[in-house]
Amino acid sequence: MIRTVLLTALAVSIAILGGAGSVWYALSAQRGIGAVSIGAWTAYPDLGGPQADPYSRARVARDGVLTLGRAEGVAFVASEDSSGERLRGECAYTVVGSLPPARLWTLHAADGEMRLLKPALPHETEIHAQSALRLPGGGVSVTVGAKPQPGNWIATSGTGPMTIVLTLYDTPLLGGTGLADAVLPQVIRGACDA
Amino acid sequence: MHRLLYALAAGLLGAGIVHIAVLLMLPEFSERDAWSRLGPDSDIYAVHRIDGGPAAEVLRGFEDPLFYVSACRFDLEDGFAHIKAPGGAPFWSASVYGRNGRNLYSFNDRTATNGALDFVVVTPAQMIDIRKELPPALVSSVFVEADIGQGIAVVRTFVPDRTWADKAAALHSGMTCRQEQ
Repeated sequence: MIRTVLLTALAVSIAILGGAGSVWYALSAQRGIGAVSIGAWTAYPDLGGPQADPYSRARVARDGVLTLGRAEGVAFVASEDSSGERLRGECAYTVVGSLPPARLWTLHAADGEMRLLKPALPHETEIHAQSALRLPGGGVSVTVGAKPQPGNWIATSGTGPMTIVLTLYDTPLLGGTGLADAVLPQVIRGACDA
Repeated sequence: MHRLLYALAAGLLGAGIVHIAVLLMLPEFSERDAWSRLGPDSDIYAVHRIDGGPAAEVLRGFEDPLFYVSACRFDLEDGFAHIKAPGGAPFWSASVYGRNGRNLYSFNDRTATNGALDFVVVTPAQMIDIRKELPPALVSSVFVEADIGQGIAVVRTFVPDRTWADKAAALHSGMTCRQEQ
């Protein structure tokens, strides 16, 4: 009798904990269901859209976010550099390469929870298509770090996990199936403060 | 031993069922959705700047420091919603969300007449009425047809640098969101 009760309790607890835990895990994963990953960058183009899958819908409801629509743009988030190391506020990074066609792109850094960084000094914390210096050939090279750098530089602050967000506004990539074939810049780690 | 394996198998099957149930019920029962985070229900049809301040939580992951963002909640029950703002921006975009935060329709300044920020959100039934006789005030408006009751309209404008800040702030402070018949 007692064995039956224990086994039933075991089955029920596996069901509840396993079921709830697996949902939590699926919604928290950076490269979860519905993600498009290109190199170091991940985007959720359908998050919150009419064609969103149940996981994206649950994620929108849980986080209560107002996502970017298809005619607005798409946000690519890098939480790792191109060699797979996590981005950290102690390090400087160079985002270098060509950008996909878009009317406008912007680049800024955020903390591990995707909140904007607020540097102590009034430095530029973001750069956009009209303010960036170009490399010969049309690409860009932007240094992201706490110490001022020549050329394109955006200021970061703090330590610990960091993300870099590249947002493409009004981009033809979202119109068709072009998103997965897009070529995005590399994120290369530079010097780190110990 | 057999009974233990049986209990484990039943537990895993149950976990699958719970997984699907939680996943599908989350959107219905979430109390932290964007609508509730934008303020009390009495505050409907008010335009709020949501970038920068604490309300920016609803933009998390989609917040851009180079953009000013305003939101307005509307209810199409007794009339359509008309959103207008003076001036322009080098780039702006707008989205219409349902009560549940789902992005139903989005467009940008290239869609609008002369880049003017002027759009209405109508239900299909209201659209039929408006088509019979287009009110002169709506001649240059973008029509967003959405089969919803309550919803949220969000306007994002690009602010390339500080010289644009005043103009962009004026656009957002002059933005109106009205219920019209």
